[in-house]
Amino acid sequence: MAKFLEYVPGDSLMHRMNPVAKVLCALLISIACFCTSNLVFLCAVLAIDFALAASCHMTKQALGLAKAVAIFSIILALIALLTTSTGTQLVALPWGYIGTGSILAAITVVIRLVACAVPLFLVMYVTQLNDLANSFCKILHVPYKYAFTFTSAVHFIPVFMNDMSQIMQAQTARGVEFDCGFVKKIRLMAPLCVPLLISSVRKTNSAAIAAEVRGFNLRTRDSGFKEYPFTLVDVVCILACALLIVVAVALNVVLPGGTIFMNLLASF
Amino acid sequence: MIEFKNVSASYDDETPVVDGLSFQISDGDFVAFVGTNGAGKSTTMRLVNGLLKPTCGQVLIDGTPTTSLRTSQLAQRVGFLFQNPDRQICCNTVRDELLFGFTAQGVDSAQAIPRVNEMIERFGFDGDAEPFLLNRGTRQLLALASIVVMRPPTIVLDEPTTGLDYRECTKVMDLISELHMAGTTVIMVCHDMEVVGDYAKRVIAMTASHIVADGPTFDVLRNSEVLQRAHLLPPQITDISMKLTEDVPELHQSSIACADTLQQMEDAIASRVEKEVR
Repeated sequence: MAKFLEYVPGDSLMHRMNPVAKVLCALLISIACFCTSNLVFLCAVLAIDFALAASCHMTKQALGLAKAVAIFSIILALIALLTTSTGTQLVALPWGYIGTGSILAAITVVIRLVACAVPLFLVMYVTQLNDLANSFCKILHVPYKYAFTFTSAVHFIPVFMNDMSQIMQAQTARGVEFDCGFVKKIRLMAPLCVPLLISSVRKTNSAAIAAEVRGFNLRTRDSGFKEYPFTLVDVVCILACALLIVVAVALNVVLPGGTIFMNLLASF
Repeated sequence: MIEFKNVSASYDDETPVVDGLSFQISDGDFVAFVGTNGAGKSTTMRLVNGLLKPTCGQVLIDGTPTTSLRTSQLAQRVGFLFQNPDRQICCNTVRDELLFGFTAQGVDSAQAIPRVNEMIERFGFDGDAEPFLLNRGTRQLLALASIVVMRPPTIVLDEPTTGLDYRECTKVMDLISELHMAGTTVIMVCHDMEVVGDYAKRVIAMTASHIVADGPTFDVLRNSEVLQRAHLLPPQITDISMKLTEDVPELHQSSIACADTLQQMEDAIASRVEKEVR
């Protein structure tokens, strides 16, 4: 199984799309998620996300990502729950109340974050980092230095995760118990940041020197061998994603705040 | 005693990295695991100290399955030296690094500090030095010292001489040899056949997740079929004596044909020359 954010080879539509078009589509989907609070729409976007993931055989990865983002967004959901006093009152609070609207707002926060994060992560799984950097240079005229910095940063995430895992294993072998409470685990992991930091700095420094001695600074926009033409499929996908934004904005005007769900919830 | 009973293990629950391993390592043994990269040697080492649990079969440490013990509990019985010392070193001073294992295992400071001081003196470390500023060889020695200071009955070494120059390599291996002489069981993964020939008493050769040979060091390293299957080259002296025997049939059964160390080869040639002169 692929590691976190590591390219998974394949021949799906998403694999074949232009890298810039993929990033653009992912960004448009994410923007659409923030254009409305309509829960039905957000659920539909989430369904589209999973359909896309399934089309490139990455349902497992998408589910893993969704779970991770959902856990992360629980904090935001709690804030929304405690600070949005709308709908029928369920629990009274000193500063307001938790109502059906608060629950809806909390659910919306979680679904929105998952729906907007999944396509962004999915792009990384179906695009080789080199293609991403090169296409950004060729099509968007981004200086290679910056494109390379971005791809290197992404490339090093699984490397550092692997390093941290190895460091933890080395300490476990010396008798450290990491199977403990959250606070104790954090306390035990804090000193491990030292070897991680040291190895990270050494790795990035070596990578920079290695790139430099191979003529990194001589590279220009035309240096890449591969061309990244936009096809009809890319254009159609971008238009479809742009349409999502239009629908989101329209829904926000016609049915603000996911009225259907709020009414359903209130009826209970 | 360490016992593997038909052990298989994998990292992804699909492809076995080691398959059907069965062997025993007695107390006080010095075993070297050899073979190509990806043969499953390091995975076998991880199985010994419980960092990896078998998906099939049993790994027994003194009769206790590793599945019933946490790795941190096993750390008292099995010390593990990783190939890269930078994965292990995490403290700000050499002294703290040597004390780390004691702190983790809750050992009394009255017991720990004298042992740490003894180790600092023995290795000639500066106790207040910053470990990450030491050179590669000294960092490897420090990583080894921080395992040895705990006095585990078994130490597992995953390529302990990688990246070391000859002097550093000899220093590390001589210390390991001393520990072995004192009764410590040593299990080591090593690609350097000279080191294996000089120090190990038993060799287990692995290839493609399986054991292909297990026996006294030079029985394995003189077996051409095993050498070919595991893609190994014998130590130089063994290689020379094997080639001489191949090319000069009358050397069969002679002491030259059995020489595995430089001293043995020198003695064999001297006696042969003496015999010819007479």
